[in-house]
Amino acid sequence: MTNSLISRESFAARIWRKTLDGVGVKFGFAWIALLVFAAVFAPFLANSMPLLMSKDGVISAPVLKYLSVEDVWVLANFFLALIAFRFRVSVGKRVLLFLISSALIAVFANVFVRPPALVIYDDFRTPAYTEVDWRIMPPVPYAPTDYLRDMVSKGLEAPFETQGHTHLMGTEENGADVLSRMIHASRIALSIGLIASGIALFIGVIVGGLMGYFSGIVDMLGMRLVEIFEDIPTLFLLLTFVAFFGRSLYMMMVIIGVTGWSGYARFVRTEFLKLRKQDYVQAAVASGLPLPSILFRHMLPNGVAPLLVSVSFGIAGAILAEATLSFLGLGVVDAPSWGAMLDQAVKSSSFNWWMAVFPGGAIFMTVFAYNLIGEAFRDAIDPKLSGKGEGV
Amino acid sequence: MSKLLEVRNLRTYLQSGGRQVRAVDDVSFSIPKGETFCLVGESGSGKSVSALSVIRLLPEGVASHPTGEILFNGQDLLKLDDPGIRAVRGSQIAMIFQEPMTSLNPVLTIGEQITEALQIHHPNMSDEDAQERTMLALEQVQIPQASGRFRDYPHQLSGGQRQRVMIAMALACEPQLLIADEPTTALDVTVQAEILRLMRKLQDDTGMSMLFITHDFGVVAQMAQWVGVMQQGKLVEVGASSEVLHKPQHTYTKQLLAALPENLAKPVLVQTQQQPEQVAANPTPLLQIRDLKVWFPIKKGVFRHTVDYVRAVDDVSLDIPQGQIVALVGESGCGKTTLGRAVLQLEPPTSGSIQIDGQELIGLSARELRPMRRKMQIAFQDPQSSLNPRLLVETTLTEPMKVHGIGANQEERIELASQLLESVQLNRDFLWRYPHEFSGGQRQRIGLARALALNPEFIVCDEITSALDVSVQAEILQLLLNIRQQRNLTLLFITHNIGVVEYLSDQTVVMYQGKIVERGETAQVCGRPEHPYTQKLLSAVPRLVM
Repeated sequence: MTNSLISRESFAARIWRKTLDGVGVKFGFAWIALLVFAAVFAPFLANSMPLLMSKDGVISAPVLKYLSVEDVWVLANFFLALIAFRFRVSVGKRVLLFLISSALIAVFANVFVRPPALVIYDDFRTPAYTEVDWRIMPPVPYAPTDYLRDMVSKGLEAPFETQGHTHLMGTEENGADVLSRMIHASRIALSIGLIASGIALFIGVIVGGLMGYFSGIVDMLGMRLVEIFEDIPTLFLLLTFVAFFGRSLYMMMVIIGVTGWSGYARFVRTEFLKLRKQDYVQAAVASGLPLPSILFRHMLPNGVAPLLVSVSFGIAGAILAEATLSFLGLGVVDAPSWGAMLDQAVKSSSFNWWMAVFPGGAIFMTVFAYNLIGEAFRDAIDPKLSGKGEGV
Repeated sequence: MSKLLEVRNLRTYLQSGGRQVRAVDDVSFSIPKGETFCLVGESGSGKSVSALSVIRLLPEGVASHPTGEILFNGQDLLKLDDPGIRAVRGSQIAMIFQEPMTSLNPVLTIGEQITEALQIHHPNMSDEDAQERTMLALEQVQIPQASGRFRDYPHQLSGGQRQRVMIAMALACEPQLLIADEPTTALDVTVQAEILRLMRKLQDDTGMSMLFITHDFGVVAQMAQWVGVMQQGKLVEVGASSEVLHKPQHTYTKQLLAALPENLAKPVLVQTQQQPEQVAANPTPLLQIRDLKVWFPIKKGVFRHTVDYVRAVDDVSLDIPQGQIVALVGESGCGKTTLGRAVLQLEPPTSGSIQIDGQELIGLSARELRPMRRKMQIAFQDPQSSLNPRLLVETTLTEPMKVHGIGANQEERIELASQLLESVQLNRDFLWRYPHEFSGGQRQRIGLARALALNPEFIVCDEITSALDVSVQAEILQLLLNIRQQRNLTLLFITHNIGVVEYLSDQTVVMYQGKIVERGETAQVCGRPEHPYTQKLLSAVPRLVM
């Protein structure tokens, strides 16, 4: 009866296929893919300078000149990740390779990329850039910090309000284009989720794995540590740090990561306690395999799946935490962020729906997408649900 | 004799992930009043689904019955609506299940559960009457001190007692038909014998009919007047049990009966005559266990101080000679698995001595133990959990070789691994597959191949055939004998199946409550048991010898 179900694919491939079964999860991945695209190519999607122009027969790409270190690093990482994905080596080696080359690029970019210290966006509206043979502008021809106060009668402008310069999502009180800010803000949303969860995952797996495998006194001490970290209110800690050390995105990532690992540790501990008694782990012990092999080859891959579920919810939580902080006006100052945009919507004298709807919708969609993915993962991994119904 | 239940041309199709499975395909049988009909077959043959179809317990959306009628007292159960079937269920047809642990609600007392069942079917019954009836039912199933047990929770009872409570609950409403789905499979043989005896007695007292589902032909021989053999949803042979069991007509029934360990041809007899010479030539036993104790502390109180010990293995001394198969027999919880694991140092022993080839194992560090691991390996019971689902068979087999420096390079090890697969009668290409692509029997073979990968002298086989169907079990047993002959292996074969012991082993060791109560040549222990426990154990085994 069951023989026909036998197929030739690895466990990971099977989970992946089952995860992608549903409609909702496809939407979730599509939205995340869109965000990644927006985050990586932000300077090419929304900028005040031409992508490519020809003046007096000389072809130039002003946008490249103004790429920041961060822009270069993000772009390079994106292509690196694509290449690493193609390599037919083990996952661990791929990650290691990626991390090493990513660090190298960061160093190189810091040394060699020297964008102009000051960008005056009005320059791009002077004849030097406008009276040309031909030019290709980005789809959204406004940089996120290109404040058009001097151009228009008032700063706030609803979508399609004025003829001449179309702002698809309107402008904020300083006259900057909301869509452009949204596109650039996707970087913060993505990076805070991934990096904060990455830090939490790293600590959680190590602490939880040690607790689960060694149990006994190690487990007892580890659990007390977990309980201590569970009692730290992340938001208030963030507020305190912002008050004392100023605003920094990286500090936020680290704090969210360092306080958020306890749940992962609990998950890994439970899995390892269970896996320790599994016959194949016992067989590995009986074969005299070394401890790292038992831990990382025989136990971790079998225990990591439920973790992915909680990670995807964790990413959503980190995004929300950042949005909350920015909404309270304690987020990053120099770069646009969805939470900060919501804050602006509320603070201005009149309620401007376009300032609330678009960033709010983006936060909602992103958290929703991660939750959909997490739920699909959970359903794919749970053997009790296999074969019953479709995915999310 | 009038028929209580008549099943005609029953088909049950199950919908599973867009595919339709013909779980029951054109099955017809009937059960006379007061008699027992046994459905036998291997796992997945559709016997449980047939029974669930009769009582209509299959989920509506999943199961459908394209054809068939189930006549119970002349009434077609398939045509009844929900309230109609509910009136029949429980009061006229009752069911008991395999796992007594999960069939009872853990948060209600057993008395409450039986009383509730009674009052649902007899709404006018007063509380006092219901309690009295419950008490009677508990006495009927011979639970000792039934009145005191009324307020017990399921976890306070043993497995056998729980199954008795289940029977009491099923019989409280005096059903005409009792459906029993493998009611004794999860129980030890001695308990099984008691439960079967009880069920026969209750049948005599009440005159009910039984539809009894089992995979064990020994149980069939004890219980059934009528028997039906199922294969892949079809009923291949039906008849009086004496006819079917002793003069089977269908080839499948013949195969099944021939695969029973007690009926397997014994090539082992030829070998046992060679064994004494080997023993004589090699007088020191391969494995020497002296005064081995494995005690687990019971901790209580705030400071977790040890109040007592569970003496899983208590003062066991045992010699296992080179080249012999020693069977370790006992009921669940007697410490046989713990002993097997303690020998391999998977469970740290409390005290005692274990020597393999004269080398002491106890007290060695993990590093010192590593070279010793080559000599001794283990194969497990559960085919589901014995292989790492994330690793290719190739990795599972070659990784230990690499650690122990077997084979000069990976190509050589892969060649060795494919030879191993061939020696357990599997295809070489199976190296490049994942465990979930195999059936239970194939996985057990791979588990054996892994145990053989280090070319050990000694293997602990922990119930390796218990989770398998009889025909697959027969193949694995024959394979084991072959391998033993080729490699001069020494086996400690842990099992609870006496038939397997008689077929396979040279020596038998009987364990009871952590101690060895009897040991000796298999023929002697199984033929003329001396210890009262061994005698009880052997007499409880349902046998069917052709």
